[in-house]
Amino acid sequence: MTDERRSGASPYFPYNLEMPITRRDLLKRGVAAAVVAAVPRPLFVHLGRAREPVPPIEDPRLKDLAFSALEAARGAGATYADVRLTHDYSRSFNPALSNIYDAEAMTVGVRALVDGYWGFASSAVWSADELARLGREAVHQAKTNAVTGKPRTVLLAPVTAIADSHWNMPVARDPFDVPVDEILDFMGGLAIYARRVNRHVRDIYNPATFVRQEKAYASTVGSYCTQRLYRSDGAFFFNLRKDEKVIGGRIDALSSAGMGWELYTADRIPLARDRSLREEIRRVLDELDEDLTLPLRPIDVGRYDTVFDNASVANLLAETLGRATELDRALGYEANADGTSYIDAPLQMIGTYNAGAPLLSVTGNRTESGGCATVKWDDEGVVPDEFSLVKDGVLTDFQTTRESAGWLKDYYDKSGKPFRSHGCANADSAISPPMQHSPNLVMTPGHEALDFNGFLAGISNGIAIRWLNVNMDFQHLNGLGIGGSTYEVKHGKKTALLNSAGILFRAPEFWKGLLSVGGAASARRLGGTERKGEPPQMTYHSVTAPPAVAKQLALVDPRRRA
Amino acid sequence: MSRRAQRPVRLLGVADDERFLSKETCDAVVRRIRGFAQGGGETMVRIDSWWHGELRWARNRVDLASDRRDVSVRVTRGLPDGGRADVSTNQLDDRSLQAAVYAAERQAKHGGGMTIRDITAPAPVFDYQQPSIWSDTTYRFATDARAQIARRITDKVEAARMLAAGYMEVKAQSTARTAAAGMMYAERTAAQCSMTVRDAAGTGSGWAGLSSYNWGAIDADALSARALEKAIASRNPVGIEPGRYTVILEPQAVHELMKWVVTHLNAGFAGLIGPGRVSAENVSGPFAAGFDNALGIGRSKLGLKVVDERITISHDPMDPALGVVPWVANNYDSYAEPVLPVTWIDHGILKTLAYDRGYAVYRLGDNVGAVSRDGYRMSGGTTTVDEMIRTTERGLLVTRFWNTDLLDPGSVLLTGLTRDGLWLIEHGKISKAVKNFRFTESPLFVLNSLDQLGEPVPVFSPDAPAIVPPLKAHDFSFTSLVDAV
Repeated sequence: MTDERRSGASPYFPYNLEMPITRRDLLKRGVAAAVVAAVPRPLFVHLGRAREPVPPIEDPRLKDLAFSALEAARGAGATYADVRLTHDYSRSFNPALSNIYDAEAMTVGVRALVDGYWGFASSAVWSADELARLGREAVHQAKTNAVTGKPRTVLLAPVTAIADSHWNMPVARDPFDVPVDEILDFMGGLAIYARRVNRHVRDIYNPATFVRQEKAYASTVGSYCTQRLYRSDGAFFFNLRKDEKVIGGRIDALSSAGMGWELYTADRIPLARDRSLREEIRRVLDELDEDLTLPLRPIDVGRYDTVFDNASVANLLAETLGRATELDRALGYEANADGTSYIDAPLQMIGTYNAGAPLLSVTGNRTESGGCATVKWDDEGVVPDEFSLVKDGVLTDFQTTRESAGWLKDYYDKSGKPFRSHGCANADSAISPPMQHSPNLVMTPGHEALDFNGFLAGISNGIAIRWLNVNMDFQHLNGLGIGGSTYEVKHGKKTALLNSAGILFRAPEFWKGLLSVGGAASARRLGGTERKGEPPQMTYHSVTAPPAVAKQLALVDPRRRA
Repeated sequence: MSRRAQRPVRLLGVADDERFLSKETCDAVVRRIRGFAQGGGETMVRIDSWWHGELRWARNRVDLASDRRDVSVRVTRGLPDGGRADVSTNQLDDRSLQAAVYAAERQAKHGGGMTIRDITAPAPVFDYQQPSIWSDTTYRFATDARAQIARRITDKVEAARMLAAGYMEVKAQSTARTAAAGMMYAERTAAQCSMTVRDAAGTGSGWAGLSSYNWGAIDADALSARALEKAIASRNPVGIEPGRYTVILEPQAVHELMKWVVTHLNAGFAGLIGPGRVSAENVSGPFAAGFDNALGIGRSKLGLKVVDERITISHDPMDPALGVVPWVANNYDSYAEPVLPVTWIDHGILKTLAYDRGYAVYRLGDNVGAVSRDGYRMSGGTTTVDEMIRTTERGLLVTRFWNTDLLDPGSVLLTGLTRDGLWLIEHGKISKAVKNFRFTESPLFVLNSLDQLGEPVPVFSPDAPAIVPPLKAHDFSFTSLVDAV
């Protein structure tokens, strides 16, 4: 078989497979020296005529590179365009196997708007030529559909141009500066500690992934900004095994957060733990150890007042109201993917719909310290605000981008609210087009200082659930909750562990039946993910929730066939 | 003239004639990576590069058209006196590759994973086959042609006063894996199209979709007609009681259940010690028959009848309709290993369970595992869906299932939802649209409660192509009403 493509260097992938460059060569190039020392694996980029190691994202020369895409897009006829450059590092550990996996990727994506139609083009090459090609390609994609399609209008909510700014997500210790031995030893130590404080601990699984994303953003509005973002995905799962009994447990304080290595080493972390990680592991083990003395019992099908722990409330919130208040989803833009929303007439329901009991209030933000979705600017150069989604049980707003905020302009004008995007545009990396993704969600805590155990004390005949998982329908309306651990509660005490238990619920009734939510001191932040779009993108966000009690939920055996 | 010479060159910006890495480029990358390796041992490389052309529409307008490319190089270094580690990068210049190799060597010194000393068998030498899953039609399906189809589809839906949302995607990619006999390289294309039509009031929803390596095999207009028809027919559904129903499952619905069976045949059950026996450490799962205390071994159901004798489930990597690259990098030594044709279930009898190469080496004294991809072909019959309906006194017609989730691995008990079209059949006719249900059912029970089977057809399954028949089965368990549309 003959192959007429050129070997080695190719026109599209301009990786010239050049000869190795010596350190001395690099030293001659000024900037390079420091970079080679600081970055463990220098990738290369075209900033001028020659290739050089990728500079830190705040290097001002990246601005010219970014703008070469915008100029090309504008020259080709874009009414609006923006460009993202991302440089992602990730390092994954599986301490049980002493396995480490490093990945690094540089990507660039350009988005263009032509007569109401969006086009997008992305690739793995940071060079002025390639960015210009992507700018033209994005316009070509948009224009083709603008010419072929019927009129489509886009009203972008206003945005203030960012004048060349840089932001580092504040972390105490960049995980990529921590020697891998130190991390492996620390994690191995946690497992040994857990087994030492409780001899029933088995099956420990404690992988971790650390991510650093450097991102540059520019738009034809004249904005240019760069950010360095971090995420640490910790985990610590285990089983307590005694005789026939197996109780699964996990350490919530290690769930994903917008933090560095301090997720493991900090003395305390607001909204995650009030003590050191080892003390937290001990606290959870002590609490679960008591459960080992409980009898195992099948469920008694019926309706019960139900106490949920933080992780369960966070899951329920994210999977019901969290998804349902995504405006693009509610209007049918995700109909062919995950589905629509039970808030199915958003323009009529906003401001009036009773989403839950008066004690339910939910806000969204991308600003909180430690949040997985936290940024300084979103993927449209918007400074995100903290905004109310549900206030005293009433639906007040939706998660928006610049385009989707435009769909609510009439409401904002009528109600005297500012017409703006809430800054929810996000993409997993520059290779993917930005779209609306979940911000960090926060459920407002109650006024009384109640917590999980306090709630149990108030239940005369009910159930309690830890680590509930939910399987929702395509409008996030009807759910089956399957508990991690479900307890029978009688006269204020856990009296049995329930075998094969689940709850069946409808989201609006669930939230309207909310009886009580825990106080501020009981609120915890958990990391979560969302898959959205076609092809699907996965993004991270945090959910902060107190424990809560809901009334008269249907307890079922999820494995029981009809 | 070679296939590649026929590819169009669009002079848009930087030349567009190579949207993914050629064999020559991959060869050069592998050579260079191996040149950077220091300290002996093994160096395995996986290179994947891809181009995507995508079009998404909603509310009867295209809302995004895109063109994307990326590459990934994954280097595995195994050191003679230490462990192994993987590093990946998407940059192909020498410094990046060299840095990736060094990083892998640095990480490998931590002694992670299976060490090279554990690898006692030589990499398998095989006559690797090239798949025929390249389609010029897919490769040439340009954005203007995509735009025209989207316009046609959305016009028809809009004229019917309904709302269309959908997605089409074409891609071309190359895959390179190091093997005992040098480097394996394959090019392939893939295409998919799916759409959902809803009425503005949100009372009805219809879906249709198909995937293939060949865009020419996907009739987008026919899909849109079906989605529209289903949307119209599914409006204003009425609620009926949950319970056990005779069901007619369209091929897509069958696939949503069957993929779990194939996963259990294919994925984890690497604990086999020869026919009829599984290892002591792995005696759970639907195809395990429990642990034999007397013999100290676990038993599997190999050789036993596990489902209706009309059912055969097989996989042939060279079947273009199943569209897979017929080799994988195995998890034993990261070298490429061939995917062999396999019959999992033959006329109802369990014939094969997957095991990986490490297991073959350690436990069987063999050098090749029984691995497959997740795609499959399921046998069928000759009954049409219309005939199934005509012969049903009372039952439900299911378009597809959604969000299926495993409740019990031992019996593959699943929960999930019906979606985008569910109808009641009474006296041999579709009588009305009904509200969706949550189900609690095992595909193995379904395959033991079969009434009729139809002709197997390709379904929408972009990641693991499948050929699946429609079927009729009795006593399908719907456990609760779901009033979502």
